[in-house]
Amino acid sequence: MNGDNRHLEQELDRLLAAYRDACEAPEPGADFMPRLWARIESAQSWTERLWKWANGLAVAAAAASVLLVVYQVSSRPQPDFYTATYVESLMAQTEAELAPVELAGMASEAPPEQPLP
Amino acid sequence: MLVEFDIVERAQAGDAQAFNQIVQAYRRRIFGTVSRLIGRPEDVEDVAQEVFIRLYYSLDQLRSPEVFEPWLYRLTVNAALDYLRKRRKRKLESRVADLSEQQVMMADAAAGSKAEVDEKEKARIRELVDSLLSGVSDEDRLLLTLKEVEGLSLKELEKIYRVNENALKVRLFRARQRVLRAYAARRGEEARKGSDDER
Repeated sequence: MNGDNRHLEQELDRLLAAYRDACEAPEPGADFMPRLWARIESAQSWTERLWKWANGLAVAAAAASVLLVVYQVSSRPQPDFYTATYVESLMAQTEAELAPVELAGMASEAPPEQPLP
Repeated sequence: MLVEFDIVERAQAGDAQAFNQIVQAYRRRIFGTVSRLIGRPEDVEDVAQEVFIRLYYSLDQLRSPEVFEPWLYRLTVNAALDYLRKRRKRKLESRVADLSEQQVMMADAAAGSKAEVDEKEKARIRELVDSLLSGVSDEDRLLLTLKEVEGLSLKELEKIYRVNENALKVRLFRARQRVLRAYAARRGEEARKGSDDER
């Protein structure tokens, strides 16, 4: 069995050596270099096109964002809540809460109106 | 090194003339390696061009000109690997194309001059080794070819694959055993066929 294995190993080695001889490298064609440069340049122009397109897209996206922000700011009127200071809002709230109480007190304590002579 | 370090450095800096010099110097070697890695003479030029295109676009990633050769080998192995994967996919998609290719080869073989007989024998060996190697993964196929056919040492393979020697030895041993089993099975089949013919 071992002898058979060694024999097979040797045969495989011979086959691989024969494969090496069978795989002679073909001669490079006369147009190898021009074709190579043409492929490099076409790949370059493709990447340049992609780069330009990506740049254009980025500029358009930035412009659209700015427009959107401007539109949002200008179209929505700001409620007082966002523009008033803390003191102003507090005052407005207190006034709203106290006003009915004050009026009720004034109504009970005020002297009856005297008819004019 | 087939070119001086300064030529590699100039090519890295974008000198087209220096890049041309590198291509001229390594063209034959790359053709030979690609030819043995893929086993299809008709596709060698395309794969070799792919190697040089990859070289052009990745030269700036080369850390130092000293590691240029193992690095170029790595680009070659990767381009061959991509080619083998595409070919495997194509084979799965259409077996009809392979059949017609075989028929063309058989018709060609019928012609019969000395050169044609030699070429036929070479094509038979290429087909046989190709079918034996198809039993292992594409990665192992390339590794085995680089070691057994291309004749690279383990040290050289270590630099190309950036893997330690022991790991390479294990992978090589397993791949070779698998190919050996496929070869033994094929020999058994041939022997059986021969005895059937005699009867």
